[in-house]
This record gives sequence, structure tokens and C-alpha cells, in this order.
Amino acid sequence: MSELKKIRTICRSCHGGCGVIAHVKDGRVVKVEGDPESPISRGTLCSKGLAITQLAYHPDRIIHPMKKVGDKLSGNWERITWDEALDTICNRFKELIQDHGPESIVVGQGTGRDYESHLYRFANLLGTPNVLTAGHMCYVSRVGATLVTCGNLPVCDYEADPRCIVMWGCNPQWTNPDEYKGEVFWRAYKRGATLIVIDPRRGFLADKADHWLQVRPGTDAALAMGFHHVIIEEELYDREFVQNYIHGWDAFVERVKGYHLDRVEEITWVDREQIREAARAYASTRPACINWGVPTEQTLNCTDCTRLLTGLMAVTGNLDVPGGNVFYVPPPTRTVTEFARHRDLSPEQRSKRLGGDQYKMASRVALITPKVAWDAILTGTPYPLKAGLLCGTNPVTTRANAREAYEALSKIDFLAVMDFFLTPTAELADIFLPAGTWLEQNHVADNWKRHGYALARQKVVEIGEAWQDHKIFLELGKRMGQEWWDTVEDALDYLLEPSGLTWDEFRAKGFLRGQMTYRKYLDKGFSTPTGKVELLSTTLEKWGRDPLPAYTEPPESPISRPDFLEHYPYILNAGLRTPTFFHSANRMIPWLREIRPDPIVEIHPDTAKKHGIREGQWVWIESPRGKVRQRARLNHGIDARVIVAEHGWWFPENKDPGHGWDTANINILTDNSHESMDPVMGSTNLRVLLCAVSPCKDHEEGM
Amino acid sequence: MEKVSLMIVADDCTGCHACEVACKQEHGIGVGPRLIRVIENSPVYIPVYCHHCAKPPCGDACPVEAITRNGQGIVLINEELCIGCRACVDACPFGAMQYDEDRDLAVKCGLCIDRLQAGEEPACKKACPSHCILVGDMKGFSEEIDRRLARR
Repeated sequence: MSELKKIRTICRSCHGGCGVIAHVKDGRVVKVEGDPESPISRGTLCSKGLAITQLAYHPDRIIHPMKKVGDKLSGNWERITWDEALDTICNRFKELIQDHGPESIVVGQGTGRDYESHLYRFANLLGTPNVLTAGHMCYVSRVGATLVTCGNLPVCDYEADPRCIVMWGCNPQWTNPDEYKGEVFWRAYKRGATLIVIDPRRGFLADKADHWLQVRPGTDAALAMGFHHVIIEEELYDREFVQNYIHGWDAFVERVKGYHLDRVEEITWVDREQIREAARAYASTRPACINWGVPTEQTLNCTDCTRLLTGLMAVTGNLDVPGGNVFYVPPPTRTVTEFARHRDLSPEQRSKRLGGDQYKMASRVALITPKVAWDAILTGTPYPLKAGLLCGTNPVTTRANAREAYEALSKIDFLAVMDFFLTPTAELADIFLPAGTWLEQNHVADNWKRHGYALARQKVVEIGEAWQDHKIFLELGKRMGQEWWDTVEDALDYLLEPSGLTWDEFRAKGFLRGQMTYRKYLDKGFSTPTGKVELLSTTLEKWGRDPLPAYTEPPESPISRPDFLEHYPYILNAGLRTPTFFHSANRMIPWLREIRPDPIVEIHPDTAKKHGIREGQWVWIESPRGKVRQRARLNHGIDARVIVAEHGWWFPENKDPGHGWDTANINILTDNSHESMDPVMGSTNLRVLLCAVSPCKDHEEGM
Repeated sequence: MEKVSLMIVADDCTGCHACEVACKQEHGIGVGPRLIRVIENSPVYIPVYCHHCAKPPCGDACPVEAITRNGQGIVLINEELCIGCRACVDACPFGAMQYDEDRDLAVKCGLCIDRLQAGEEPACKKACPSHCILVGDMKGFSEEIDRRLARR
């Protein structure tokens, strides 16, 4: 028996970044634990990361390439070699490029396994502008809106001790925090920071908060307007900053005047005095930071809400100051943009980006919204999408209007997927490529993030014939005649070149951090057309849009659709995250599924009583687009007019090729019409719609 | 000898369940027994765990004296003696005593005694992102709890 080896690496069971020490014996990972030297997680690790061995060595994991045999929906697969798999994809893509142009191929990813740089390089060198990611409504949408407002994404500077923290629609201790983890936030909170929580649901942090604003789902932009209203009315803004570094202040003030607190209270359901007190606390405590979450993005107010929250950071003088919202300085590596060769996509190909004319912000950040992909597949408008390469994504559960996503992916001529398991989406593919988990990756991790770190994720083991995604892109790219490297590690040497380190030197070091400086705007201004924070956006003006932010009522709410209320009397707040799962992942992991065996819908006890729903009972949730079942949990901490439901559910234990994808999947209920999306970003409304609830009859219980 | 025990500052438990998975991984436990567990009643989370009682009711209930408290204060079960009668499971006032249906044995938290002896923290404590798990002696706990709840 060989001796135990301990290998330091970086987790990627969510957006990643936490340090891990993997224990390896006889070529197998026997245990993982947190790395006390990690600057991100400081020795702690969450349930998802800790359960990686049950994912990596899961009996259902596919660890060799496969091709579909027979009908697309048959679930019949046959093992093939990597050569056959890559040649099949390559030949198909070459034919399509010749007959229909590279734009007929869509390349897509979910939240990703840290391969954006490689995926985009492959797509750009292929010549397709059609990259379909979660970014239309998650993180990248925030990046896009902050780029045009202040030139970069402002991130909470927890290490420099904020004295006030606004947790705006975010629960970093449970789920997928992007830059910093809940651990660092919690330390800052414990040092005595005032905590303001904006959340429709009374969770752990709402319970701890000094100010908890129980906002009506989807009205965050109106609430942000209320904050601005108080700050302007009471002259709590940073006069000097506003004078020197805000573009369009007077026009913005005029706009905000329209949002007096009576109106904001009516829209948001938050008491006007509570808004006033919270806004005062935020504006008068220095330094203060706002930690925002995806609910601010997953509505048609995405861009404007982001602009308004950025505006709060700016006018209170909290941008790029220690303990505020800062622009971290990246370590000296090549950027994802450079590695991805974005500049090599020709203007002609760029002009063919689906929905590019309509969703200009999405186009600026080089992605498309799913709706335009489904339309192109199903209707051939404006041209047909013929093939797809989807990596680590399960859109039939995680994208709005799941039935349309399922129909489109069932009908596309050719689909290849890269994943660990035969998910409901993977089952629709023609070719399955087995991807490596983070235990099987060599990568400069987190290089795309804006927290100022690059982290060494080093390969701990190889499992079966699985390849890390980066290698798949590299080998496929080379077969397509693209310029790549001989090995994954050679590409990492290139990525690291500006740091003066090779991959081997970097992985021995563990991580790099950029040399932080604050208030960079004093020398350089902000990276916007005016060099200032643009509360009046010259970019949006150029695009023919309202240059000032506004609140727009969700298209399906008690106010916009009173005619729906008779049949659908409740606001469905969809997409509740849980700590054990990451979107649609992990439902097959025994340790995690034991903790959360069933999809949960939270209902206020008064509402439950009205419909004869008991704790733990299976419940139908229905919207104008369909109905699904989840199990009821009664919760006093939500408004009786609101229903809160989990997302991402499918049932790996169901061996039918659909794996129960449409039985508890909350996105059967959501809408993806163009009217429901953010007008410049194409962010889909995954969060707010109208619904009805009713108890399942006995024979309808269970899955 | 200084006694050690485990205590969870429930007020700081976020209900993330990292402790549960860390424990299962450390001790190679599958689905079933949960030596540490967090019950969710949002916004309150209730950790259920072995308190390593000074006079352990589980030990008192055991007809074959399979459960004993060692010199360090750690309450341990000798699986070779256990007859699977479940008297200890019924006797535990915290609901912490577990039963392994596959092996027909009672199982319990041994405070990661091997890790403690190697100078490491118990697996649950090490993983906890909100640092709400304390291991040490009872006197130290009260000071530590005051410090944690003070927020300064």
C-alpha cells in the first residue's frame, strides 16, 4: 500500500476559490479538507466541496466518451474512443461552417468549471459569435452594467473592515458567492459592522440584521431609488465626489425626485420609515459596502438595478475606498480576454450575433440570451442554429421557460455535451464528452474574477478517460485547425507569462495576488467615456435607450396583471438557493441528498391554511405556463402573498432519459418572452411571476 | 486531566450542513446515521450533537457497559460490546445517539479522538464556515461564547 499524499488545490464545486488539501492514497482521493493557508476560505469548506469524492467516484458518472445510438430521446448510448468523439464533432462542425457559416454553431456553458478563457478561445477561433452562457442573468450582467457605469465591477472589501454591510438579495454563507466567500463577510460582521439585509425572506442574516427590509420580490430597483431619494433629500451624499466624479447628477436628481417614499413604499411593500432609517445608516456609516446577489439581476430591471446600486456606492463616497466597494487589482497574468482572442472575432461575424441588435449590453460582453438561441433553432429566424457544444450546463432545468429549452435542444440537428453525468440536457445530445472534476484539473483558477487573486488548482488524480474541459477545447481546437498549445500546461505557461512564473513555479507558490491600491480614480478617473461615474449613461444614450435608470414593474405581478389574480393570486419568488446543491448539480450525491431529499416550496402558514396545505405535503405550483410539484414547508418569515420555491430540481434516481426533468422544475413556470427580459442585457426573469398553489391528492404525492 | 467537550453556538449556526458532510467523510459514514446534524427551522437552525455529558445517560442505559467516558471526558462506544438494543438511542436527551441499520449497532460522536490525539481539530469544527463549533473545556466555553456573541 502506498503512503498517503496530501496535495493542495482549489475547489470548484460552486464558483470556487476555496483552498483544499486532498488526501490521496493508491491513486485515489480518500478525503478532502479545507486549506488553512487559503486567503479565500481560511481552512473552512462547505458541504458541496466536502462531498467531492462522492461526485468524482459516483457509480453513475460517465468516464468515457459516448455516442447516441438510435433515436435522440432513446437514452441509448454506446462507448466510443476520444478520437471518434472528437472527429465526429470536428467533421460535423467543418461541414456546417462550409454550408451555413460558423454562426450556425452555438457554444454554451453554465456557471462553468473555470474554463471561460478556453471556451471563448474555441468559439472565437471557430468564428461563432453565438456563445450562450448563464451570464445574461448572472454576474456577467452585473459586470456589463457596471462597466458602462463606472468602468469595473465594484466588490466588497471585507478585509479592510467595512463598518456597514448591505446584503442585497444575497446569502453568501449558503450559496455561490462570486468573489469572496461567506467566511470573510462573517468575520467583518463579527467585528461589529452594521448589517442591512434586503430580502423577501427572513433567513439567517435577516434575523441578525440591524435593518431588515422585506422587499416585494422584483422591486429592488424601486427600493434603491428610495435609498437615493433619502440620500439626496437629506443631503447625505459625498459632495466632493458628486461634484467631481459623477456624470449627469442634476438629471439623476430630477429622476429620483419621482420616487418619493410614499410611492416606493407602495411599490416595494417596505415601510417608508424603515427605508429612511436603512438609507441613513448606509449613507452615514463609513466605510460601507453593498454585497449584491443574482435576484437583482434576474428580472427585467437587471441593468437599471445594477446602475442604481453602483450609484449608491458612488454618491456615498464608498467606491474604491478601503472597506467600501473596490476595484481589486488583478495579479500580473494574461487576462481571460487576451487568452480568449476576443479581438479575433471579425466585425462581420460579430454583427451576426443572435439578438445582438436588440440586446446590446449582452453583445458587448460577448454572449447571447437563450431565447434567441431557442428561436433560431425552432423557427430558423434570423438564421438556423444547426449544432451546439454545451459544457457543464443543464438549461432544461435552469433556464426560463424550460419546455421551450427542452424542445429546442431536442430538435437541434447535432448536439455535443461535456459533463459528469447524463443529465436531462446531456440525454438530448449526440455525443457525450466526459469532463474532469476540479480534482482532475490543472488551471490558473479564478483568473476571470475580480477579487485580485489567481489560484493554483492542480490536478490531484485522473479518473477513467475523463479529460479536464480545457484539454477538450484544446484538442478539439487543434483538430479544427485553430492555434493552441501541445498541452494544457503549456497554455498555462502562456497565461502566466507576465508574472514571470511557469505553471510549475506557480503551483508550488499556491496563489498570486495583485498589488492593491485604492482611489485609483484620483489619477486615472473612471474607465467610462466621460471618465466619471455615469449616473446618466452616455453608452445607453448612444444605444438610443433612456440614459437614466428607472424602475419597471415586472410584467407579471399583481400590479401589471390584475386580470391574472383570480387564477394566480400569489407572487412566486422562484429560485431559492440551498447550501448543498449548486443550481441543478449534486442531486445524485448521497451525503447531500440525505440532507435535502425533496424540492421545497415555502408557504406562509396563513396561506397554507387557506388552501388546506399541511407541513410536508406535496403541493402543486401553477403559473400560466404550467405546473410542477414540490413539498411544502410552512414559513412565517415570508409575506403571506409570496410563495418561495427552490430551483434546479431533477431526479437522477429516475432512470427514464428525462430523469423527471419537468416534475419539480420551477422553470416550467417561468417566462422568457422578449417583453419579460431586460431590454439591453436580455436577462431572463427567473424570479418573479404569478402562481397558484394547491395540495396534491394522495395519489399525486412523491416523485 | 483537562476534560474536553464540544459545543455549538447555535445562534451563529447558518444551517449550511458543512459539519455533517465533514463528519461523514471523516468517519466513512454513508446515508443513515448522522453523528452531527442541523435541523432547519428558518431562520433558526438547531444543531443536534453529542455533548459528551459528565454523566452520560446513554452509558447509564447501556445494559452491557459498551459506552464509557474516558479520562479526557470523551464519551465513546465500544462497538464490539454493543448488542444493538437501542436503549442508548432512547436515553440520549439530545437525540444525538444514532443507530447504524446496516451493521445493527449504535454509533456516536467520538469527538474525532484520533484527530485530537494528532493535534488536529475535529472534522466538523475545522470545516465550519461560521466558526460556531467549539471544542475545549466547559470553563473555556463560557468566555468564548461571550466573545463570539459580542461582535467587536
